[in-house]
Amino acid sequence: MRRRHLLAGIASVGALGGAGAVATGNVPAAPGGDAPEPVDPVTLDTVDAPGSRDGEVTLPALDRPTFIDFFATWCKPCIEQMPDLVEAHDRLGDEVLFVSVTPEDVGGAVSEETVADWWTEHDGDWLVAADVTAELAARLNVGGYPSARAVDATGRVRWATSGTHTTEEFVEGIETALDR
Amino acid sequence: MDRRTYLRSLAAGTGVGAAVGTAGCLGVLGDSGAEGAVLGPPEQDLSEAVHPSYGDEMPEFTVPDPITGEEVSTGQFEGDRAFLWTSFYTNCPKGVCPALILRLRRAQEYAAEQGYGDRAAFLPLTFDPQRDTAEALREYAGQQGVDLDAGNWHFLRPESYEAGKELMMDNFGLKIEKTDPDQYETEYTFPHYGLILLVNEQGIVERAYPGGTNTDIEALVDDFDRVITA
Repeated sequence: MRRRHLLAGIASVGALGGAGAVATGNVPAAPGGDAPEPVDPVTLDTVDAPGSRDGEVTLPALDRPTFIDFFATWCKPCIEQMPDLVEAHDRLGDEVLFVSVTPEDVGGAVSEETVADWWTEHDGDWLVAADVTAELAARLNVGGYPSARAVDATGRVRWATSGTHTTEEFVEGIETALDR
Repeated sequence: MDRRTYLRSLAAGTGVGAAVGTAGCLGVLGDSGAEGAVLGPPEQDLSEAVHPSYGDEMPEFTVPDPITGEEVSTGQFEGDRAFLWTSFYTNCPKGVCPALILRLRRAQEYAAEQGYGDRAAFLPLTFDPQRDTAEALREYAGQQGVDLDAGNWHFLRPESYEAGKELMMDNFGLKIEKTDPDQYETEYTFPHYGLILLVNEQGIVERAYPGGTNTDIEALVDDFDRVITA
């Protein structure tokens, strides 16, 4: 508000410069070396569906590797890759926190039943969470759906991908986040 | 660019540009910001790009918002709201457009959390008005988690495909062309340059994000926050 008024007058422009300096000084710390920075965890609500439950989950997990599949009920390729995710979950579901996350407004524009029905229809059998504020999608920089991230036990992203994948690709991707 | 020259002469005429330059604060860290810009220059210099970029004036055009029924002008936000602009269409295959919309939507959410939603606007323009009716856009908003009730989100829908195509070329230098669907199930597609623009409340482009789907969401939201709170 204040700035809006200031901008109307030429005499105020020095104040704009000042604001710019403050903003420019706020430079994020440069990442050191090749190791990615750990991702700050986000707590999301989970959906009552097969293999899932009504509750909360913190992602990425703080104590073990996490595999996150970003999907949406409107996303057709997400349906296509469900059999491969089912198979990957069968093989590695015990070694990682395996979770699918939708950015949809679950509980708002999209009902929880819609998500649960989609999940049942496509044989999902693991945790499903709703990222209704897109905060996790922002932290993990999702570009399109489906997308997947494998995060190691220290919270560092080891595999980031978008588009559909085969079972073997999922397994290989997830394995990059194990034993770290 | 004409726009830029115009801006320079305008600034020189009013003394605004000179005042910013001599204020010196922007130069403290070695940056010399463009006239009227809050942010310093971007890491990647896009000034040679065909589309508007850092320091340019946002092109002014007016397009209907089919959901609210209003005519929305990019100029109407001057002195009032900073905004994010992009172009998309709902039948966009391979998730490119959801990725663009996700970036605007996350900024919308952040603005609401910070309590400055009334100082921001989000202006995604469809260049497929034939299929992107008010109904289709409303449904799309629901799918993408957009908050239409916040009053700051305007889908822009040109009157016709030709009008949209002309708008994109005249204002952004971007060519829109229908192509055969090939492998996609939709009737037709558009090769699409995923540009997002961040424009301050003076109507000056602060950032052009050319690779929209790869644009770091948190960095974009951080730029947006700095522009709004400056």
